[in-house]
Amino acid sequence: MSTLTSGSTVLRLGGNSIRLRHRTIAAILGALAVLVAVALWSAATGSTALGLDRTWAALLGQGTKGDEFILWDLRLPRLATGLAVGACMGLSGALFQNLTRNALGSPDILGLTQGATSGALVAIILTDATLQLTAGFAALGALATGLVIWALTRGGDPSGYRLVLVGIGVAAILAGVNGYLLTRTTIVDAFRAVYWLTGDLSGRDWGQARTVAIVLGAGLIVVALLSRGLDALRLGEASATGLGVHVTGTRVTALVTASVLTAGAVAVAGPLAFVALAAPHIAARLTGSTRSFMLSAIIGALIVTGADMIAVVGVGDRQLPTGVVTGVVGGLYLVWLLIAQRKKGVMS
Amino acid sequence: MTAGPLVVEDATIGYGRVAISEGLSVDIPEGEFTVILGPNACGKSTLLKALARMLKPSAGRVLLDGKDIHSQPTRAVARRLGLLPQSPIAPDGITVADLVARGRYPHQGILKQWSAEDERVVAEAMAATDISELASRGVDELSGGQRQRVWIAMVLAQQTPLLLLDEPTTFLDITHQIEVLDLCAKLHREGRTLVAVLHDLNQAARYATHLIAMRDGEVVAEGAPADIVTADTVQQVFDLPCRIIDDPETGTPLVIPKALASARI
Repeated sequence: MSTLTSGSTVLRLGGNSIRLRHRTIAAILGALAVLVAVALWSAATGSTALGLDRTWAALLGQGTKGDEFILWDLRLPRLATGLAVGACMGLSGALFQNLTRNALGSPDILGLTQGATSGALVAIILTDATLQLTAGFAALGALATGLVIWALTRGGDPSGYRLVLVGIGVAAILAGVNGYLLTRTTIVDAFRAVYWLTGDLSGRDWGQARTVAIVLGAGLIVVALLSRGLDALRLGEASATGLGVHVTGTRVTALVTASVLTAGAVAVAGPLAFVALAAPHIAARLTGSTRSFMLSAIIGALIVTGADMIAVVGVGDRQLPTGVVTGVVGGLYLVWLLIAQRKKGVMS
Repeated sequence: MTAGPLVVEDATIGYGRVAISEGLSVDIPEGEFTVILGPNACGKSTLLKALARMLKPSAGRVLLDGKDIHSQPTRAVARRLGLLPQSPIAPDGITVADLVARGRYPHQGILKQWSAEDERVVAEAMAATDISELASRGVDELSGGQRQRVWIAMVLAQQTPLLLLDEPTTFLDITHQIEVLDLCAKLHREGRTLVAVLHDLNQAARYATHLIAMRDGEVVAEGAPADIVTADTVQQVFDLPCRIIDDPETGTPLVIPKALASARI
């Protein structure tokens, strides 16, 4: 191994070669191991504590009817939904941070979450607001917001500050719209709306898990194809152009993908706060100068699954909505991040 | 006269609806070290951006090897034409070797991430720019001059016969400016075609083999430095009264600005 590729291993097969960076691989394997542990633990905990033995038995189809019902019909769908939702949010956050080249670039700041909320509120006010209808409207809201942001940034490239500023403007307008919509509801609807706004995973079924998993799968494929170009874009637009990256095409595809991922996740789980913001940061801290979209997705899944487990255990004997936990944990993380950056003397 | 590898043909170039140059025609000669110069806002960087396909002319064309540069696949163009922009961004914490390796992008793919060829070319690019010992250092720990050599190495790793450099000496102190220009001259001697935007008239006259002087979006004079760096052209391009003497080091024209009568004590 030469000094040029130190810290990585190159696998060659015929004319093909794949370069594996040790630190990135270690971070991904480590995060996956923690994720599996948390997922198992989460499946074993809840109002009926199954414990690892009974969980394992039920998982292999050797448990009691009751245990298997709890595991296969209640816990695993919720767990699967949480994993997929978290991964979608982690991935979309990483895309937005890459696009905006800004530590705060996330669907929460750029207005996509607010757009999803507007959609959900419309569904809650105008329809009988089944979970499916609310989800569909929320997805439409997020996608429409993504489209508006894209249209407004189209004069130049959807890049950097322009994207952040347009997004913040859109977010502010939508927050106003959402406030107005809330005043138009009955008290019952308002309660449902507020609950949706917090974000929660309780009562999610396999159908919802499958929907988000499909969105996630599509997102992962697109990101795998885009990731080299997105990586080159970190050198700035000019360098990326010089290197032969189709800058505008890459950016627009990334923006659309990130919007779809956000739409899918928020539609099913509500706007779980700060997951999309925190996941890419934690991933970047683990891998150093190399960025891994995959790791950001895994960390997102880890945050949501972990938060949901805490939410289920709850405070006292009450379960919490998942979004409360991600909000508190993510908010603390954000404050810490800002303080740490100020100490370092940089604000990016 | 045969057309050079890079030609601007009757082009209108600008930002949005604001045209900086209209009906501009420029021919970059093969194998020369061309320097574009002129006062601030004369359109020299805009011209370089058009040559680098960062700006698309609203009228007219930019031709690379005789074909419209915007009709060619951008990755194919990137194997012919390298660009060092004015302010490239080094990702936080990236090492020198990793940054130089980014220059291999147009030669790589999802399943061609690091070939033996990549390894060889990156090592050569680092040797040519004298940064081999810095390979495992972080780019953000380097001095301005070292960092600029790292960026040049990245563009060299792209292995293009044509190199475009947008103000490669800005923000460097004089020693590092000369170091970078000497490196450019060496790359030119090795057979590459270089196009650079420079601010310093005397450095341009010393290093360029072909000069393009611009003002208000138009080419005012073009040719070998010895032919076109005259008191008249400098007056015409920069509004600067001056005398021209021979550079005692190289014999190239040296511009000495005149002292104003009112400034004499």
